[in-house]
Amino acid sequence: MIPSLPKLVLPGPPEILTVLLDGCIVGGIPSSEVEKVVAHIRRLKVSSPAVIPDDLEVGYVPLSMGGAYPGLYLSTSPSRFVRPVRNISLPSDGSENIELIGPFEQVFMEIKCPDGGDGGRKSSFPATHEEIHPTVMLSVVANLTPWSDHNQSPRNMYQCQMAKQTMAFSSQAIQHRADQKLYHLQTPQSPIVRTGSYSKYDMEDAMILNKSSVERGMFHGQIYQTETIDLTEMGGKSRKSGLTPRMFRRSNVNKFGSALDADGLPHVGQLIRPDEPYCSIYNSERNSVQTLRKKGTEPVYVDYVAVDVKNKKDLQKVNIRFRQPRNPIIGDKFSSRHGQKGVCSQLWPDIDMPFSGTTGMRPDLIINPHAFPSRMTIAMLLESVAAKGGSLHGEFVDATPFRGSVKKNNEESESKSGSLVDDLGDMLRKKGFNYHGLEVLYSGVYGTELTCEIFIGPVYYQRLRHMVSDKYQVRSTGTTDQLTKQPIKGRKRGGGVRFGEMERDSLLAHGAAYLLHDRLHTCSDYHIADVCSICGSLLTTVFIQQQKRPVRQIGGLPPGRAPKKVTCHACQTSKGMEAVAMPYVFRYLATELAAMNIKLTLKLSNQAGA
Amino acid sequence: MEPQSYARMPRVKIRELRDDYARFELRDTDASIANALRRVMIAEVPTIAIDLVEIEVNSSVLNDEFIAHRLGLIPLTSDRAMSMRFSRDCDACDGDGQCEFCSVEFHLMAVCRNDETQDVTSSDLISSDHTVVPVDFSDATIDASSDGISGNKKGGITIVKLRKGQEVKLRAIARKGIGKDHAKWSPAATVTFMYEPEIHINEDLMESLTLEEKKEWVESSPTPVFDIDPVTQQVMVVDAEAYTYDDEVIKKAEAMGKPGLVEINAKQDSFIFTVETTGAIKASQLLLNAIEILKQKLDAVRTSLDTVEADDQFGELGAHMRGG
Ligand SMILES: [Zn+2]
Ligand SMILES: [Zn+2]
Repeated sequence: MIPSLPKLVLPGPPEILTVLLDGCIVGGIPSSEVEKVVAHIRRLKVSSPAVIPDDLEVGYVPLSMGGAYPGLYLSTSPSRFVRPVRNISLPSDGSENIELIGPFEQVFMEIKCPDGGDGGRKSSFPATHEEIHPTVMLSVVANLTPWSDHNQSPRNMYQCQMAKQTMAFSSQAIQHRADQKLYHLQTPQSPIVRTGSYSKYDMEDAMILNKSSVERGMFHGQIYQTETIDLTEMGGKSRKSGLTPRMFRRSNVNKFGSALDADGLPHVGQLIRPDEPYCSIYNSERNSVQTLRKKGTEPVYVDYVAVDVKNKKDLQKVNIRFRQPRNPIIGDKFSSRHGQKGVCSQLWPDIDMPFSGTTGMRPDLIINPHAFPSRMTIAMLLESVAAKGGSLHGEFVDATPFRGSVKKNNEESESKSGSLVDDLGDMLRKKGFNYHGLEVLYSGVYGTELTCEIFIGPVYYQRLRHMVSDKYQVRSTGTTDQLTKQPIKGRKRGGGVRFGEMERDSLLAHGAAYLLHDRLHTCSDYHIADVCSICGSLLTTVFIQQQKRPVRQIGGLPPGRAPKKVTCHACQTSKGMEAVAMPYVFRYLATELAAMNIKLTLKLSNQAGA
Repeated sequence: MEPQSYARMPRVKIRELRDDYARFELRDTDASIANALRRVMIAEVPTIAIDLVEIEVNSSVLNDEFIAHRLGLIPLTSDRAMSMRFSRDCDACDGDGQCEFCSVEFHLMAVCRNDETQDVTSSDLISSDHTVVPVDFSDATIDASSDGISGNKKGGITIVKLRKGQEVKLRAIARKGIGKDHAKWSPAATVTFMYEPEIHINEDLMESLTLEEKKEWVESSPTPVFDIDPVTQQVMVVDAEAYTYDDEVIKKAEAMGKPGLVEINAKQDSFIFTVETTGAIKASQLLLNAIEILKQKLDAVRTSLDTVEADDQFGELGAHMRGG
């Protein structure tokens, strides 16, 4: 039988691989030669950058089933990402053989971690390159955690999240910047941290700050906010000149009552409280003055006023930078570099803090030791011991993770030291301190010895930008929703916190009926509706304005209010009118239903269960 | 029944006394008195510190609050503080610096006109009262010209650094206050006390150790408390007060299988105080002032009506308090 289809021969591997330079085909290479060529180019890249640029990307895509199209892709164009690795296929004659590799080529390369092992390659895929340090596998943020290899891994992840929320000394040029919002820490430093429950104010990740330390400047910071006022963007350009009718100018009316300058702008250093004007704009068309008022709940200082003088004739654009002091208060959030966040629960005076009998030191911060067993952030304890030893000796301690794996390579340089803890413990011991970082402390209140030894040492703490002054919410009465007459939500508008279904359930479970009624009815949309008991409607009731009778004045008393007369529009009588307390939304429901041609009737009864 | 006397006659023995440092023994009293003294020294002995700052010009890199805070923390010579009035109690003025009884006015004017960075230090503060001036930290033993650390020849505390064209001009009012209100008024850098240790070595048990073991045991204390007599090879206490109650030697003795090798107790009635001041007042004066204030506080309790009412409760103690 002769097949009807022509016989298809599967193509074999290409004998020639194409070579592309910066995206253009420049030729081909026999596939048997290509690996030698790649190795040669890499050698030249490292040894003679004059011939081959040292940032050349040698993207060799080998032949594979279902993989990327094979070929040799060379890139020399600028602005590519490169990173250094060690080329170990070259003979190391004293030099490090650092090669810069790019993201395209690295996926086809064999780069091993310098931990002394081969990463499970065995002899089938020998590594041609080696990372400079084991920690290069970590990101920049992850690298900021000291001894992260001693921490439980989720804690390292939490820290990476938290490091981005810290307040810092972020810029040296704050004077000349106009950031929308900038958190600034006055003096970054490591407080002395003590673990141990001293009173109950450190439960559940709360911490006690030393009030005197705070008064001396610990964790002081401020928020810089810039308000941009552009008159050209406010609309209302006049057709003729193309200029806005607006200009910065103070109102002539209450010239002396205003804290603003004659140009309508605030003074540098001036304190502006909430709802006070910080800028005044004069509209020449309407001959009116508009003032911009400071929003928020906290007073701010005017830090800087920058005027845009691009338009020489008159001022059109102004940047006003405000500065809000944010020194620590109860409720502010702090964290160590080990995912150990907490909230300040107390600011305690120095004298109440425990103190060391020998050095007289008082801690700046107290945390609860329960923060450790379940979270296993051993590195935080190591940091404390290391920082203590380091400060006693006046030197920095290297806290790079994976110390053990690097040591194998240059074993000779390391001393006979065993574990990390032994090294750190010896540092303390040399200066007459306890090997494990423990100290005997005395109660600041009673002056008596605390019956257990306490772990104390400096730990770097981060001030996080979540501060109570941005979060606190309080409401007794206030604005209500127009439609439902229920309290509104939202902190900015003075709203409340929702008492939701789950909260309702818990009150039901407790049998707290009165409280439930109070929260959901009395303090919410309490409403007395007039209901017609004849037809059961609460929508057909109408007020009949009483004919104004001459009210007799009785001895200076205000005239008695005439009783309201309510009748049912449908029944044309006021006989069956009853006052019923209900949530206002119920009436709203009745009207919504009425709009859909559904009548809602109430059956009124005095007996329960009728 | 003979009324029991609660009177104790505490003794003070001064070991070391410098202007800003004192070390003394307090004996024949208890922890309550020792700690009260410590607390009063830190938080209730008054000093003078800058409390109100009126900034006229500030074109430096630091903001107004920062400078005001730094000014507040500068220690001022406060020998006059005890006799001064709190500005809130002053009936001669309203605490605005116009009154000599409660406030001292300072002026600071600094402009940088050179290309070099200029340090504005506490010695640039001009006081209206020659008895209340920033504490002079310049050490007479160090030659002023050879100070190479900051090039700061005046020896004051740096408030702010200025570059060319920047200026700071302000008026500051210093007032009397106590450390309880704000740490800037605390005259004490450190006040601490320790209980005097009593160390008894069990000689018989100690002699059962070899020299090697003795050395190992002596080495186990992180602080040099014990040593071995080079002649008799006996373990002796060289510095009992170096002991930090760390229990290291006791744990070591137990680990060596010799519990009871040494017995260490804290004497409940003798304390060794270490006092360091900020320089606002002398260490000796700090102690005297603290005792004076403690007396005043006790007087307040004694004369209080509550105390008389509480007589039934406290009985003899109450009578004793009133000098019975
Ligand atoms: Zn009706
Ligand atoms: Zn006065």
